[in-house]
Amino acid sequence: MAMTFSILKKSFLGVGLLACAFGVAQEVEASERLVMAERKGDRGMLAPYVHHKNGPGYIFTSYLFDTLIGQDDAGKPIPALASSWSVSKDGLTYTLALNEAVTWHDGTAFTAEDVAFTIEYMQKHPYSFISIANIASYEVMSPHKIQVTLKKRDAGMMTSKLVSLPILAKHIYETIETPARFLETKAAIGTGPYKLVRYEKAQGRYLLERNEAYYGGRPKYEQLAIFKMAPQAALKAMTSGQVDLYNRLPVEDIDAAQKAGLKVFRYVSHHPSRLIFNHRGLFKDKAMRQALAFAIDRQALVDIVYRGKAEIADTGFLQKGTAWYSDMTLPSYAADPAKAADMLTQQGWRKGDDGQWGKAGKTIALRFITSKSFKKMATVLSQQLTAFGFAVELRILEKAAVNAALKKEDFDLSLQTSSTLGDPDSYFHRVFSKSPKSDDYQGDGKMKEMLKKQQQATSAAERRAIVKEFQALYAEELPSYMLINPVWVVAHTDRVQPVFFDSGIAFGIPMAIPKNILMP
Amino acid sequence: MVTRFYGTLKQWQNLLAGLAVLLFLAVLFLSFLPSYDVGYNTLQAPSRSHWLGTNDIGQDVLTGILTALPNTVLVAVLASLMALFLAIVMAANAAIAKGWVAALILRLVDILHIIPSILVLLLFAAWIQPGFLGMILLIGLTSWHDDVRVLRALILRERTRENVAFARQMGAGWGYCLWRHILPSVWPAITGLFVQHIRQSTMKVAGLGFLGLTDPRLVTWGSMMQDALDYLHMSAALWLLLPPGLCLCLFLLLALALGRRLERYSLAEERDLS
Repeated sequence: MAMTFSILKKSFLGVGLLACAFGVAQEVEASERLVMAERKGDRGMLAPYVHHKNGPGYIFTSYLFDTLIGQDDAGKPIPALASSWSVSKDGLTYTLALNEAVTWHDGTAFTAEDVAFTIEYMQKHPYSFISIANIASYEVMSPHKIQVTLKKRDAGMMTSKLVSLPILAKHIYETIETPARFLETKAAIGTGPYKLVRYEKAQGRYLLERNEAYYGGRPKYEQLAIFKMAPQAALKAMTSGQVDLYNRLPVEDIDAAQKAGLKVFRYVSHHPSRLIFNHRGLFKDKAMRQALAFAIDRQALVDIVYRGKAEIADTGFLQKGTAWYSDMTLPSYAADPAKAADMLTQQGWRKGDDGQWGKAGKTIALRFITSKSFKKMATVLSQQLTAFGFAVELRILEKAAVNAALKKEDFDLSLQTSSTLGDPDSYFHRVFSKSPKSDDYQGDGKMKEMLKKQQQATSAAERRAIVKEFQALYAEELPSYMLINPVWVVAHTDRVQPVFFDSGIAFGIPMAIPKNILMP
Repeated sequence: MVTRFYGTLKQWQNLLAGLAVLLFLAVLFLSFLPSYDVGYNTLQAPSRSHWLGTNDIGQDVLTGILTALPNTVLVAVLASLMALFLAIVMAANAAIAKGWVAALILRLVDILHIIPSILVLLLFAAWIQPGFLGMILLIGLTSWHDDVRVLRALILRERTRENVAFARQMGAGWGYCLWRHILPSVWPAITGLFVQHIRQSTMKVAGLGFLGLTDPRLVTWGSMMQDALDYLHMSAALWLLLPPGLCLCLFLLLALALGRRLERYSLAEERDLS
């Protein structure tokens, strides 16, 4: 019955889209409208505190909310709300001159008071993606000039914080006590190139319109519609011109898209899947993690799970071809069961009479817990580990249950995936934090020290040198074992051209749909 | 009377012998079955080396179907047996014992009737992700109450018969009476209920597998169908979805036919005897 339901759902989606597209068509000419679709819908209301805590949620919100510093078509910082800026010699004081032509979507003028308000408000109500706890004080020097002073030097202030921090409208938010429950359309009043017209939560649909008064030039499309759609339905709709861009087309549908005459924008996502270890359990020691790495055949994962359409990930956290990657030879842990067995034996493990690894005559089962999205990879991995002689207890749970198990440290291995792009600042969160997507690694504290040191760096070269050391140490200590760097795909028509930044969007979102593609 | 009793005993023996053979075959079958390994040949159409093709991680579909056979069929049969056994024990107690025991059992059954058992099943399955044994227990424990009232009515009818009264007069205990006199005469109903249970349990096993609420390592026809759903729009659906679906239909039809035949056989026997 559930199967019929799924088929029904798919056809309903198609019909729903048609109906909706017609609805939109009545309002504007098709040539003036851009329709984007993706597999999952509803990214939440498009306002900083209420969009969903994921990449697409942030990106769609960024169409409505501009940041002080923007990104050019290569991802490099360019003026946005701030038309120019300067940093004091000690790296503590940032003076920002604001663009005087900016207005909010409701016509109110944008001033330094709004920036000051945002800083104060976000210190009281932290925004999930960017922490501004390091800001010590600010001073509004004139209606369009503000000075921000930091507690300590932060080399990533511009490229991580100011590029990502959405600026809130003081006249909207000053009366809001609990922004997480502020869901009115008013909440989406920003300074960005598009304004929110309609948000239908149940269907995961958004309708945005051009901000005619946008300070950065006239946005390219009069309307922007965002839908949820199954890939197959989307490909059909794209060939008939109803949809212009499909974000994250499954790789197995590339051929179908090309056959249908669509353009396929393919990029290595640098959002690798990685094997997470319980650092307070069996995999406390580096040697154990390395031994396990040698027992895994990553090429087989690429060939079987991704049918060759992915790359083997670099082991030093940073991935080849990204902004902060340094070219060097790192251990690749190519599958070598003999070496893995050797290392395990040195750690006091023995193979029992049943051919399974254990300690002191007792088989030790590896508790391998992961969520449904990793089912295929987990099946292949656990078979590799079983073939090597590990007893594997694989459990595939709902995401919430996986997170709970990770929190309770009721696991030995898990699979996760997160971006490796963005300013080195973001590594704190991805490697050391308690978040379920993090490695939750402490080690001897040396790696964390390195990251703190790079924050204090005075030149880009110095920073890069430290990140390079971090990369080498990561590959050796393996806070987690980077497995596969998957290829992501955007299918599109001639009307729009996806762009991928090697540093990711804002704090490192590896998607090819930054707001740049909506501008001429 | 005597032939009737021995006839029924023979039926029980037949049933148990049948089950033993089934179990033996299952064990034999599993030991000869190649393991359900992943491989490099992903999404291959049926060919000489893979008679029913391969799935998205290179597992052989035929091997999967055969691996899933006991996980679907045997689980359903054993769960039905367990549910029926529980139902008979409860019904007998409710019929024979008087007073609060009977009341307690009947009220318990009432309560269980009010709570939709499928919800309980889904809830517990989502929580514990049952494997082979867990599934038998879970399905057995959530479906026994359906039969208690029917069986109790039958047992109540049978206990008023002369043969039971005579046996009691001669000093026979209720257990003896139940085993020797009552159950044999309600055999057709038990057969019918058993087969009905098998059908329902099979659907439940398949359903749980399809919803992904079982142990991920346990391959069932339901879980194979679930895995096939991603390829619904591709020709691969032909060899990924159809085989487990057809197997499921075939087994359900088989159970239906078997039930009819058993019922007819029992009724005929009863007619002969009377």
